[in-house]
Amino acid sequence: MAEALTGLLAMMVLAFLRIPIALSMGIVGIVGYAYMRDWNWAVAFATAQTKIYETGRNYTLSVIPLFILMGNFVTRAGMSQELFRTAYTFIGHLRGGLAMATILGCAGFGAICGSSIATAATFAKVAYPSMKKFGYADYLSTGAIAAGGTLGILIPPSTIMVIYGIMTETNIGKLFAAGILPGILATVLLCLAVQYITWRDPKAGPPGERMSWRERFTTLEGLWAFAAVGVVVIGVAKLGWLDADDAAVIGAFIVFGLALVYKGVASVIALFTLVMGGIYGGVFTAIEGAAVGAFGAMMFAIARRTLNWKTLYASLVESARTTSMLFLILIGALMFAEFVNITTMPGELRDLVKRFELHPILVVAAIMTIYVILGTAMEELSMILLTVPLFFPLIVHMGLDPVWFGILIVCVVEIGLISPPVGMNLFVLSTLLPQVPTSTVFRGVMPFVFVDCIRLAILVAFPIISTWLPSMMK
Amino acid sequence: MPPENKRKLWEERLDAALGVAASAILFALMLITFADVVSRYLFNWPLRGAFEATELMLLVLIFAGLPLVSHADEHVTMDFIDRVLTPRATVALVRAVHALCAAVMFFLAWQVWIKANRIAGYGDTTDVLRIPVGPFVYFMALMIGLTGLVHVLRVFVPGTLRASQATT
Repeated sequence: MAEALTGLLAMMVLAFLRIPIALSMGIVGIVGYAYMRDWNWAVAFATAQTKIYETGRNYTLSVIPLFILMGNFVTRAGMSQELFRTAYTFIGHLRGGLAMATILGCAGFGAICGSSIATAATFAKVAYPSMKKFGYADYLSTGAIAAGGTLGILIPPSTIMVIYGIMTETNIGKLFAAGILPGILATVLLCLAVQYITWRDPKAGPPGERMSWRERFTTLEGLWAFAAVGVVVIGVAKLGWLDADDAAVIGAFIVFGLALVYKGVASVIALFTLVMGGIYGGVFTAIEGAAVGAFGAMMFAIARRTLNWKTLYASLVESARTTSMLFLILIGALMFAEFVNITTMPGELRDLVKRFELHPILVVAAIMTIYVILGTAMEELSMILLTVPLFFPLIVHMGLDPVWFGILIVCVVEIGLISPPVGMNLFVLSTLLPQVPTSTVFRGVMPFVFVDCIRLAILVAFPIISTWLPSMMK
Repeated sequence: MPPENKRKLWEERLDAALGVAASAILFALMLITFADVVSRYLFNWPLRGAFEATELMLLVLIFAGLPLVSHADEHVTMDFIDRVLTPRATVALVRAVHALCAAVMFFLAWQVWIKANRIAGYGDTTDVLRIPVGPFVYFMALMIGLTGLVHVLRVFVPGTLRASQATT
């Protein structure tokens, strides 16, 4: 146990000295591995070679750049504007309506984008000016955007789920399916938080304009067309006229075609249903779903005339850089995990649980508490990559569902992203909205951090919310 | 042309070349995976070797992007220490860190080069398309080495001092 803890501490010290996290983990991993093998450097170096090579040449990992690319395309397509607009026409007239519309818009955007930061950044541009216009208090608007942004990684697709799935060899499709119900729960709870804030301080979130039902439904134009495609595809497959797989692929092409005509929210719903339905129904693997999603998102961007050679290149090169950056971290983390696995720590943690006859739920609650505390000060991705190798064997040993644990991990990452002092979503908002003091952003997000903790507790207490949908999968 | 501008020009050229390469590969990766799905289901004709091509393209994508990440100073870093240090000390620390990064990268490049020698020695090829794997592993080593060079450059010509975090 002492070796692994020393390793963790050494890694933290290196990272604190401004050494990139990926290298901090990698250096400690290699040195620690050599130490555990009685300073046999040759073995440690050989392991490093293998880790780099195997991570680089790994078919499964191609899911990462493809989902990142999909997210970049939808961000550029300007779909956040339409999502916010639609949500606004329906609930904007309520107290705190624009803040709730922001959260609903984020949830919709999260259904086609797997990044929390991208979601928060795009809504800072789209929703903040509207809220400002209607006299919303800065603390409420920034809090809602920061918290809503985290729905990007809970509602599938999700970068964090992909990385967790790869590290623990958990089925990514099942993780995606598992995120849907918790995502809805999270959306509802965040809206309740808005209601609480505006009940305490009605001036913070005055109602917007009330729209007629006619105006509301025009924002959903094309929904019937997409719904018809869905019904026909499923019908044809059920009647056995076509293979389910063929029907799904033909359906995909019709959806892409319709998306060129109907540019509203309906196309977002269609893309989500296509990608997630395809993965859920077993038509696509997660990788294929990601490619279909990225291709569809590109069509959307073309349809909205936001894609020219310059923006296409920018989307691609940005995705490529993000991919390389993530892979370097992944390689470092895998090297670190290799070291931790040969220490006595995983075994001793198991013994600890056995000796005190701790109830599994109690252990999970303890792990989650550690994460929430660590998340306030640490960068979330490296926190997960460093600690999952420690805790995951324990979870499996106690017979708990890895998919459920994955959803809990996503939730603690979400909380970490919005909990001061170190929360990436908060930094993004401070950078994009320099006129809002950081202290206001920090204060505004606290009620949302609180409801996120409640949601985490609910998900720990009722695993069925996370495990029901994946259990129905083929 | 003063040497300073000449260096910048080369940096820009290299950045653009790697950027175009990585972008083209990512685009092709998307198209091949998509085409594979379509052709497999609609025509019962899976693309031959799509799996292997994807693997090798991903490899090139990741490692061609690595010097770009270092050049753009986008590695995930924690910057708490800046609040304690004077600006001058921070700059000195950042230079030292880049020197260390360069050393680690050169070391890893050397290790991967050894791996490449071994793989090329076996004459490893992919199963279906019979593409030799060796050159790709040499490419990995070269790109890691190039990343090391970028860090050497950053020791002398500091980039941005902002800390970046993972885009989760």
